[in-house]
Amino acid sequence: MFPNLRRDVVFPVFGSVILFAVFVAVGLAYQSQFSGAAERLVTFALIDAILVLGIQIYVGNTGILSFGHIGFGAIAGYAFALFAISPAEKLKRIPDAPFGLLDVSVGPWMAVAVAVGVTLVVALIVGVGLARSGAESGAVSATVITLALLFVTHEVARNWPDLTGGDRAGLSFRIGGTLDSRVPIYIALLAAIVVARLYAQSRGGRLAVAAREDDLAARAMGVNPLVQQMVALLISVVVVSVGASLRVYENGSILPRDMFFNLTLVTLVMLIVGGRRSVTGALVGVAVITVGREVARKLGQDGFELFGIGLDGAPLDWIFRENLKSVFMGVSMLGFMIWRPAGLLDDWELDKWLHGKLGRRSASPPESLPPVEPDDSSVLVAQGVDVAFGGFQALIDVDVEAARSEVVGVIGPNGAGKTTLLNVITGLVESNSGSVVLGGTDLSATRSFKIARSGLVRTFQNLRLFDSLTVRENVEVSYLVAAAHRRHRPPPDVDGLIAAAGLWEQRDRRARELDYGTSRRLELARAAATAPAFLLLDEPTSGMSDSESLVMVEQVRQMAGLVGAGVVVIDHDLNFIIGICDRIYCLDCGQVIAEGTPAEIQADPVVQAAYIGSTAEG
Amino acid sequence: MLEVSGLTTKYGEISALREASLHVGSGEVIGLIGPNGAGKTTLLNTIAGLLAPSGGRVSLDDEDVTGHSPERLLRSGLALVPEHRRIFVNLTVEENLRIGGVTVPSADRPGLLEEMSERFPVLRDKWTTSAGYLSGGEAQQLAIARALMSRPRLLMMDEPSLGLAPLLVDVVFELIDALRAQGRTLLVVEQNATRMLELADRAYVLRSGEVVAEGTGTELRDNKDLFDTFVGN
Amino acid sequence: MTELLQNLIDGLGRGSIYALLALGVAVIFGVMHLLNFAHGELITVSGYASFWALGAGWSWYVMVPLIVAVSVATSLLIERVAFSRVRGADDFTLLLTSFGVHFVVSAIFLLYVSASVKTFPRPTWVTNTYAVGSLRIEVFDTVVIVVTVATLVATTLILQRTTFGLSLRAAAADFDTARLMGVRSNSVIRGAFALSGVLAGIASVFWLMRSGSTSPTAGIDPMLKGVLAALIGGLGSLRGAVLGGFTLGLAEVILRSRLPDSVASLTEGVVFLLIALLFIFRPQGLISVPHAERV
Repeated sequence: MFPNLRRDVVFPVFGSVILFAVFVAVGLAYQSQFSGAAERLVTFALIDAILVLGIQIYVGNTGILSFGHIGFGAIAGYAFALFAISPAEKLKRIPDAPFGLLDVSVGPWMAVAVAVGVTLVVALIVGVGLARSGAESGAVSATVITLALLFVTHEVARNWPDLTGGDRAGLSFRIGGTLDSRVPIYIALLAAIVVARLYAQSRGGRLAVAAREDDLAARAMGVNPLVQQMVALLISVVVVSVGASLRVYENGSILPRDMFFNLTLVTLVMLIVGGRRSVTGALVGVAVITVGREVARKLGQDGFELFGIGLDGAPLDWIFRENLKSVFMGVSMLGFMIWRPAGLLDDWELDKWLHGKLGRRSASPPESLPPVEPDDSSVLVAQGVDVAFGGFQALIDVDVEAARSEVVGVIGPNGAGKTTLLNVITGLVESNSGSVVLGGTDLSATRSFKIARSGLVRTFQNLRLFDSLTVRENVEVSYLVAAAHRRHRPPPDVDGLIAAAGLWEQRDRRARELDYGTSRRLELARAAATAPAFLLLDEPTSGMSDSESLVMVEQVRQMAGLVGAGVVVIDHDLNFIIGICDRIYCLDCGQVIAEGTPAEIQADPVVQAAYIGSTAEG
Repeated sequence: MLEVSGLTTKYGEISALREASLHVGSGEVIGLIGPNGAGKTTLLNTIAGLLAPSGGRVSLDDEDVTGHSPERLLRSGLALVPEHRRIFVNLTVEENLRIGGVTVPSADRPGLLEEMSERFPVLRDKWTTSAGYLSGGEAQQLAIARALMSRPRLLMMDEPSLGLAPLLVDVVFELIDALRAQGRTLLVVEQNATRMLELADRAYVLRSGEVVAEGTGTELRDNKDLFDTFVGN
Repeated sequence: MTELLQNLIDGLGRGSIYALLALGVAVIFGVMHLLNFAHGELITVSGYASFWALGAGWSWYVMVPLIVAVSVATSLLIERVAFSRVRGADDFTLLLTSFGVHFVVSAIFLLYVSASVKTFPRPTWVTNTYAVGSLRIEVFDTVVIVVTVATLVATTLILQRTTFGLSLRAAAADFDTARLMGVRSNSVIRGAFALSGVLAGIASVFWLMRSGSTSPTAGIDPMLKGVLAALIGGLGSLRGAVLGGFTLGLAEVILRSRLPDSVASLTEGVVFLLIALLFIFRPQGLISVPHAERV
């Protein structure tokens, strides 16, 4: 579940405790500085932090913008109130309560558990809807579904007074007073930080982040993004439910408007100002926005006088008005979106930084790995593949076969259908007819992530790395998939593969900072780390110089040998293909026009004609 | 007419085009050939303003147009028939042509439309059909006609024969020949080097982002290294 | 039968306004891939303009063109101040930028006016009805439907016949290629915001005549209706947006009249649920717009 215990568990927990301590200390210091209402302000900042962390778990890791989490909070808040309020109080507020809720009375902590349970059920249903709507990072329809959830809960809360006390009365309770100690809040906050950090480092979090970075590439590595998004949603909803219950408890009442647009705005601004991809950032955002909003509120009320600054605020009267804090919130959101959409901290994490500083580094690269013997039984056979886009025949009755022990090349001029063939084999394009069979298993019409798990793993012509992840994290995504879905194969050695790919020095750099050749090597190493039966490479040398291409020949052979995979490689660079392949297919206009050893292909006049132009034929 | 000197274009870290220089004189038909990934499309897209160069200069009739937007370059008389044709499939044939002519005075448009319908009988027959229903060859003719609607002084074409059946490739080359006969200035990227060299006054050969050879069609055709350049030896 | 016919007419009246709003959302989504959560702010701003002008004794006849003008001006201003700075940004940034605009506009009114709802006189004929057989038809609905149909016809003509309309459709389909044809990106995007402003302006007139009030948060409801209708129809499809608007209007009216009394007040909630179900079974909306990703 965690690739590295020290880095992914010990440090995050340690870092979370520090974050928690600092956050609470800042709150207490603020509270002692400004007495009175400051205490309440800090209490709510602590609770808001729990809500924001909950939202961060989903939004930060999946990249899907959700307006619905406060809607989940409303469901949890009402569930909590309905179970925690005493029957006597309920009789006054909601005498016609449905479902026999009138007589229910459980302790407040039991009520929190109920709230979490109820909200999880709703989240499961909403999650299925999100998955069906084709959710992926930045997906617009997913965001609208979450927005609709927020409005549905609000509408129901307003218009079902028998259950919720309605728009005016709401539900209020005096179950032995409201929350009279901060201890439960502290515990919940610490737990929320730990959960958020551990989730991000866990297998699920890493796979969700991979899909956030590049949905298509994640699928091609065997990740099912929809499952990971659902997991993220459920975990985040648990945290949000606890936070919302505490908020209701502390407030002593709940009204529909408490858990609606305003709180959504406040929590989202906190999240994006701090940095939505960072747990540390979420906490920084809570602190910055809480203070900023308070300052704006006081400035709006009293101008500079309040702070005892000897400035004449009169010329600024046009801005120091009541409700200045709303302008502050709106401008914060807009300003950060325009000038710094990644937020203050982007994806910086305290514990990662500490690990970088304190973590023991193995100075030397690991020993070179022994190659894995390819098991020749699984042969890849594509037969009679036909693909038409509209009226255009991209592939016509193409047969291609490859064994694990060989390197097979597919060449052909631009537009010959090479990439389409690869797309059909890896499930990205559906063929009109024909089949793809791997070791006797028919993979036609199988979803791409399942094909990848069966052992057909590809690279992309236009490089699809997980850009904001480090080299190591990129390879670990594949490792995690292989560890779960390819158990019959020797588990890939992440460090060994990184070293073999010549990436050891750059292992902690982000993929987007790498130069082109290095990126290509990383893509190869990432594909190899899935322990594939076949590596399918789409133009691995495109954009490379001749000498780089020659290095690539060695690299491909080495990587394939290390994981015992067969290779199917597409390229237009005949030199590269001849250098690497045992057998070559030549495609032109969607058809196989020649097949043979490199020497045969090189001498074939039909191949020459296809490459240089049709009249050379005659 | 067109003078490109030392043009360099990068995608992030990758130089897709390195210090490419070429010259197109008025009335010339210039071929641009080379293997996949050589940077031909990048060169055309940079000249047309779709990509921002990181170095070098593009000038049109001695006016520096480096870094101008595509819409501005079109008004300077430079049109591009993009790779994969990129016709507007949700618009009709006529509407596609009208879009091509948005920059000409509206009084001239009917005449131009008339001209296109005469020159491209295939299109005339499908005048009000949605362009999504055109075959590959018809779509390519529409893409060229659409570019001609702006009355360009220099017409650039990116792989006009790409993905077409051999018979339709002939049609496209006949069309290029006809445009040449009219005295139009053309800069054509073509995968089909042999046919392009038959047609072009001169051609440039690109490989790995650099111009590696230049010459007349016959010069290049007799060049033994040409095939090697293509297949990567 | 009569009741159904009655629902149909009421639903068309309501749906007309939604269709105008949704079309404005779809036009902008087409050229910028921006789902505009700030679309309702055009109604908020128009609402305050009406509150002040009507309060100063202006007549509704003057207000109609004024509201449309205010709406267009606001739309262009928002584009200039906010959206022009995030052109081409990722979807996450675009979505939150439009949300930010929504919050800034409502905060400005909160700051300079107040949180309270401001009312203004509605035209007297808004509540008049007339009878056709056993049907009671509102004069207002009749006007709304007629004007909407006229607006949709005019918009169609603009999109089909004018150079601007053609440029807009081309830019929505393939922005880069449209630029290669000489379509100016600035003009087409500003034109889209202006058109969207006109459509929202006409919707505003009806919305304000019906509600007779405005508040800092008055834009949320129309925004939501417009965005949802555009999604129901299939984002990016203009025909879909109009269809989505009428579908949403009809669904609301029919549900309101058919649901048992005990849950009638939850109509909005039920409508949202139905929409969620639609997305689950037809994520691309009623009319799907094909789009391809090159690998």
